Amino acid sequence: MNSKDNIQSTNDSSEAAHKKAIISKKIIPYLLLLPVFFYYAVFWLFPVLSGMKEVFTDINGEFTLFSNFKLMLESDLFGEAVFNTATFAAVSVVLQYFLALMLAVLLSMKFRGSKLLMFVSMIPMAITPTAVAIIWKTGLVRDGWINSFLMQLSIIDKPIVFMNSEGLAAVFLIILIDTWTVTPSVMIILIAGLQGVQKELKEAAYLFGANKWRIFKDIIIPILKPSITTSIIMRLIAAIQVWAIAVMVLGYSKVPFLVERIAFYADVVPGVDTSSKIAFTLSFTTTLIVLAATVFYLMASKKRTFSGGEK
Amino acid sequence: MSYLEIKNLRKKYSKDGPLIIDNLNLSVEKGEFIVFLGPSGCGKTTTIRMIAGLEDVNDGEILIEGVNIIDKKPKDRGVSMIFQSYAIWPHMTVFENIAYPLKLQKVSKAEINKRVKAVAEATDISNLLKKYPAQMSGGQRQRVAVSRAIVVEPKIFLMDEPLSNLDAKLRVSMRTELKNIHNKQNSTSIFVTHDQSEAMSMADRIVVMYKGKIEQIGSPMEVYEDSATKFVAEFIGTPPTNFFKTRIEKIDGVLMAVNSSFKYKIPNSLVKALEKYVGKEVDMGVRPEFIDISPEMEKTEGYICDTNISFVEPQGSHSILITRIGEVEIKIHTVKYMYMKPNTNVALNVKSEKVMFFDCDSTKRIKADNL
Repeated sequence: MNSKDNIQSTNDSSEAAHKKAIISKKIIPYLLLLPVFFYYAVFWLFPVLSGMKEVFTDINGEFTLFSNFKLMLESDLFGEAVFNTATFAAVSVVLQYFLALMLAVLLSMKFRGSKLLMFVSMIPMAITPTAVAIIWKTGLVRDGWINSFLMQLSIIDKPIVFMNSEGLAAVFLIILIDTWTVTPSVMIILIAGLQGVQKELKEAAYLFGANKWRIFKDIIIPILKPSITTSIIMRLIAAIQVWAIAVMVLGYSKVPFLVERIAFYADVVPGVDTSSKIAFTLSFTTTLIVLAATVFYLMASKKRTFSGGEK
Repeated sequence: MSYLEIKNLRKKYSKDGPLIIDNLNLSVEKGEFIVFLGPSGCGKTTTIRMIAGLEDVNDGEILIEGVNIIDKKPKDRGVSMIFQSYAIWPHMTVFENIAYPLKLQKVSKAEINKRVKAVAEATDISNLLKKYPAQMSGGQRQRVAVSRAIVVEPKIFLMDEPLSNLDAKLRVSMRTELKNIHNKQNSTSIFVTHDQSEAMSMADRIVVMYKGKIEQIGSPMEVYEDSATKFVAEFIGTPPTNFFKTRIEKIDGVLMAVNSSFKYKIPNSLVKALEKYVGKEVDMGVRPEFIDISPEMEKTEGYICDTNISFVEPQGSHSILITRIGEVEIKIHTVKYMYMKPNTNVALNVKSEKVMFFDCDSTKRIKADNL
């Protein structure tokens, strides 16, 4: 009886030691990640939380749920900013995608000068938004290079005053400039994707009777889909956050966008108590919109994905 | 008229580049299983890609049932192919993969359903039809590739190293299975490989290729026992054929193959053919299993010389004995002396009817009957 108990207890202690070993093994990854958690807490979580605190307190520091949102909704040009941002995001992403896909397909066909063309088409990528804005601004002014070029070709006989464009025209002007800047980076992602499509997959389709269009539609595009999805999300996020080019080319309040409004209230009209509240609330709202757009897009595109197991 | 006929086929990748395929001629009968065998870069894959229509032909003709197909698109040639990487489309289910070629042919939905199911039954993948390629093993993907290739009911079935991505065990079992499917479908197949044991075990006829040319066409036993060139004798068989550089000399009226280590009396059947080579060098080749050993000083009919066994490599069913004659390393395949100890002195005897001689310039076999 006694000896049995002894055996039992030694078993228990070894089991306990074993459990202990497992627990300490489980802790190691968290210990290793601790510096990152710390970093995020200080440099990410803290600013985000303090920003949110601003959104849900009024100018006197009292808690409020809606009053700052009310301020934002009633602020100047808010409606235009929402409309312009939505138009910009929708049109620019579609336009840039279409162009980038055409260019990518064209450039991945090997022909004489395709490498040079690829090089030239990537130049806009290397230029910072500020410089882009200056290039286009010098082009868009009354005596700028765009007007003189168009007149040289006798397409127009009077200079167009681009800088006075308003409303939709101004939005489309910004879309054009943004497309010029951003298309190459989308194109590169697509070219990389196209090159990743195994040659034998296309050859197999050709062998079994698919023509070029069917190979593109039935094989290449579906295989490219993951990289298309990723880059569309990235473009979408960047498009919702557009402001620098708009401000650099046309100035504040000429063509309002959501983030342009944030910069406007934070930079141009500081000092007024309500303006910082509006800026914080706008930031919060924009973040929510970006999040919602991303989740919505991911869900829509996941419906027909192939890598994620059985449907 | 043969089922498939290749006439004077030539291929260059660039205008001034080397000939990849140099004047290739081949005829294949209906129902045959042909294997293109050769080292990488010998042109075997290029040749089947030309038959498939994935590669342009510079010169020559490819006829299927008497019709020249070189200007036809792949789909109008009546061929289908299994690729080395299988080339299963990753975004389609197994069913969609197999159905896609039929969809392109505008076959009706009901018919597609029926044919895909029948093919899946034959290749034993009926339970996988709803799965995606990423969810399957290499062997299963291979079966999908096979199914897709047979669903179009091709006249000729092309396979480009289809087993090279499988692990060793599966490769051997898939061999049997592919051959089985070939027999069941009564198809005509061309199979490309660099693996000689694959070629030997599957082929009705092997086409041995080297540097864009056909070295020999023959049944597995023919290319093994009756190699037409030095390359074939060297490439086929593990371990490969042993070669000795010898000079043909007439000593006291007897024709001998002589080198610094031995004098070997030419067998009677070859005397006539080798007489022209007196004073010239020839390559003498003997397969490892056609060298016999006997205790030292016990000379038999095919005696060449004495030697010392330096290594013994047991293989279970047989052993490989390694020795040196002059500068050349010689491998001997033995069943009789499996337990021999290294460092034993023995006499080497060759089986006279199995000795092969090759012309040093043309590398062609010098045969008894070439009068």
